[in-house]
Amino acid sequence: MSALLELNNVTKVFSGARGRRIRAVDKVSFSMSEEKPQIISLVGESGSGKTTIARMILGLISPSEGDIYFSGKSIYSMDKGELKKYRKDVQAVFQDPYGIYNPFYRVDRVLEIPIRKFNLAKSKDDAQKLIHEALEAVGLRPKDVMGKYPHQLSGGERQRVMLSRLYLLKPKLIIADEPISMIDVALRALFLNILLDFKDKYGISCIFITHDLSSAYYLGEDLIILYKGRIVEKGKTNEILENPYHPYTKLLIKALLPPDPDKKILSSIESDIRLREDVSTYKEDSCLFVDRCPSSMSICREEIPPVIKINENHEVRCFLYYDKR
Amino acid sequence: MEEILKIEKLKIYYKNISGLAKAVDGVSLNIYPNEILGIAGESGSGKTTMVNGLVRLVKPPAYIADGNIILNYNKNGNLLKIDLLKVPEDEMRNFRWSVISYIPQGSMNSLNPVLKIRDQIIDVVVEHSGKSREEAESIIPSLLRSVNLEPSVADMYPHELSGGMKQRVIIAMALALDPKVVIADEPTTALDVVSQLSVLSTLYQVCRRVNASLVLVTHDMAVHAQLTDRVAIMYAGKVVEVGKTNEVFKKPLHPYTKALLLSIPTIEGKRRRLEGISGLAPSPTNWPKGCRFNPRCPYSKDICTEREPEEIEYEPGHYVSCFLYGGE
Amino acid sequence: MRQTQFDPKLIIGGIIISLLIFLVLFQPLLNRAIIGDVNPLTVGIFPIYELPSLRHPLGTDRFGRDVLAVTLLSLRYSLIVGAIAGAISTIIGIIVGFSAGYKGGLIDTLLRGLTDTILVIPSLPILMILSAYVKALNIITMAFILTIFSWPFSARVIRSQVMSIKNASYIDLAKLNYMSDFEIISLEILPNLLPFLGVSFAGSVVGAMLAATGLEVLGLGPSGITTLGMMINFAIGQGALSMGKWNLIFPPIFMLILVFLGVQLVNMGLESTYNPRLRR
Repeated sequence: MSALLELNNVTKVFSGARGRRIRAVDKVSFSMSEEKPQIISLVGESGSGKTTIARMILGLISPSEGDIYFSGKSIYSMDKGELKKYRKDVQAVFQDPYGIYNPFYRVDRVLEIPIRKFNLAKSKDDAQKLIHEALEAVGLRPKDVMGKYPHQLSGGERQRVMLSRLYLLKPKLIIADEPISMIDVALRALFLNILLDFKDKYGISCIFITHDLSSAYYLGEDLIILYKGRIVEKGKTNEILENPYHPYTKLLIKALLPPDPDKKILSSIESDIRLREDVSTYKEDSCLFVDRCPSSMSICREEIPPVIKINENHEVRCFLYYDKR
Repeated sequence: MEEILKIEKLKIYYKNISGLAKAVDGVSLNIYPNEILGIAGESGSGKTTMVNGLVRLVKPPAYIADGNIILNYNKNGNLLKIDLLKVPEDEMRNFRWSVISYIPQGSMNSLNPVLKIRDQIIDVVVEHSGKSREEAESIIPSLLRSVNLEPSVADMYPHELSGGMKQRVIIAMALALDPKVVIADEPTTALDVVSQLSVLSTLYQVCRRVNASLVLVTHDMAVHAQLTDRVAIMYAGKVVEVGKTNEVFKKPLHPYTKALLLSIPTIEGKRRRLEGISGLAPSPTNWPKGCRFNPRCPYSKDICTEREPEEIEYEPGHYVSCFLYGGE
Repeated sequence: MRQTQFDPKLIIGGIIISLLIFLVLFQPLLNRAIIGDVNPLTVGIFPIYELPSLRHPLGTDRFGRDVLAVTLLSLRYSLIVGAIAGAISTIIGIIVGFSAGYKGGLIDTLLRGLTDTILVIPSLPILMILSAYVKALNIITMAFILTIFSWPFSARVIRSQVMSIKNASYIDLAKLNYMSDFEIISLEILPNLLPFLGVSFAGSVVGAMLAATGLEVLGLGPSGITTLGMMINFAIGQGALSMGKWNLIFPPIFMLILVFLGVQLVNMGLESTYNPRLRR
């Protein structure tokens, strides 16, 4: 049985200024099931490497080490036909609903091009029908958006047009890179619901990339916590949120503000959290969280922590649980 | 208790190619001493334009079309009532920073990259108060400590600081002259989650300590729940609901507020399907006739499409503009 | 409709350039109106050194030629030389700039090396040698010689523009749409560069005219025709400066100033219209 998508020790090293090399992504491995559609949330702050992972899966940049397999086939050794099929099967929606539109063209074009490129329609009328159906599927009236230029639409409308593009293509996998961080609260819920519908109705899997644990919780299922390019904790979302192991995951959960005036947490925890802002320097051969970690030990500075399996689904990369191996 | 700042029917308009945009269209709000007032709303609701108006920093082509902003100002024991929209610009400049200080969105990126933090703070203090450079310099260590920064930060350049630290420097500057009102527009949006939390708590503490009122503008309802005493919900250039944060969250009146609160994902409690708000945000050049929320409102009646609802006090201190609660 | 507010600089510059183009296009008709159906370079048809009058608005020169008619003809040839050189430079610039900027890597390193090398060579001495050596120097050969040193400017700025657009998210989207490199360059990048290419072309035209004028004032112009630079050279040669014959030297200089001013105003106007960072 081959996985739908499998990342095997994927590493990306960028060369920075003055010959400095930054491991943006460090030996990341995970896989998604081929049989059952699945939503995996990749949660991390800026600098966690989550966008780099997305770009590698989409084949926009290639990893320095490791490989990515789609249905058992390495995506970097695909021939033309296979690549075209991969492009149709693996699609994306990005963070910035502004830059994703070429300002020179009308909005219609982002829907027309995939129809033409992937031969989705037999005739012009057919194509128009598909476009209308796709727009309506995401709650847009075609006459509100067709024939307009991108700057005439709001951020939410633009992001929804991108979703209708996905509806049109019905890929097997959607890479959603912070798709809701730049749109309004009221639209976020609709957006997340559309992703859930895609999974339930059309069997479309999704890698949902976010810095917001609560939207990851809403989408459910699987969760991967990234810190500075490494996976620090991986498992079922419910399980991690109820019982986090890694100190970073604990910090993230603690930092979530409940939208409830009766649960004011700001005054109670601030002294604890204040000093845990990211000021650490990057030292490759250690735990990368060590400078902010409330329970760091001397070994954490000397070695990369191993991956420890808590149970079949739940993994954590931390020396605190060394005896649980 | 008498309000320190009273906004009356504030209107801020601008002209663009598709007509006259009524970005802020008749906002009335009171700001009381020592309170934290939250301004919530989606992008395009006019919240940023509104607070720009409070300090008269409306960028052309936008202009203040109408309204009053009354400042109750205690100067050496004399209580003055001043309409900020009527004073000349150079007098207004004296009020900024020293009485009302404003932290605009993204201001942590406006620190001068070639000046040390010390010099930037001194410049602000000297420019907006009668203090000498030496006097200004002497308050820096305690000022930085009050925002949880080491005094040594004064000798650093902005690029040596993390985002959270820069935002603290901005807060320190805003509070350097003991203002009565601090206005912060999305002060933590660009920060990562952990820094967001610690910066917010600093802002909260320091305003409480110096007895300044804080006007906190953010789209993040969780922040309002955590920090504010009262919250005003803006939609389409108007305040549709305002009240004690507890009451607004517990018993939201306006259908828009209800929908907004139902759209926030949370890890608290059981997972429930979020509703969101269908339909599209209206455009400031063409607000819907009648109640501006009526095209998206599940409770819309005939009257909602014809007339704009008046603001009524539904419960003491809890105001709403919606025909569901009268106001016809 | 795009929400474009035109800058007054753009409008004034546009008027100046349209006026110049009008003068160039209708030069034969204007010539006929001023001096009749003769070549303005013909020697001895009018009295020499006439002062400006109704019949000769700018007077006549030492060979009895109407200065206004000569100026219009010179403007025509100067602009033709500039336009040809500018067009060739821009085309080479597009090819080099796009391949270097879009592909990056080795191609970029090689092409950048070439353009930088040419940019540091002092061009005027070499242009002087070249134009002195080329036997039949006509408008076309003149334009080609000027191109040698002007294309790297275009290539350089086009490359940097391509590199910045290449990182836009819509290019990623195009790749996800399975568009080929050729489609991405021609359909996604190029259209957004059109205003910029216009500016770059205008800059090359002015640059070439400036270089051409420099050579011609030194007496290294093409033979058998007249240009604004050659008029200046000729006027100096006739001692117009020492004799105070301002009507001989002023018209070509005025025309050159008009050309530079027009192009510069259009540049600045386009910049503030299309560069969002300058837009307020």
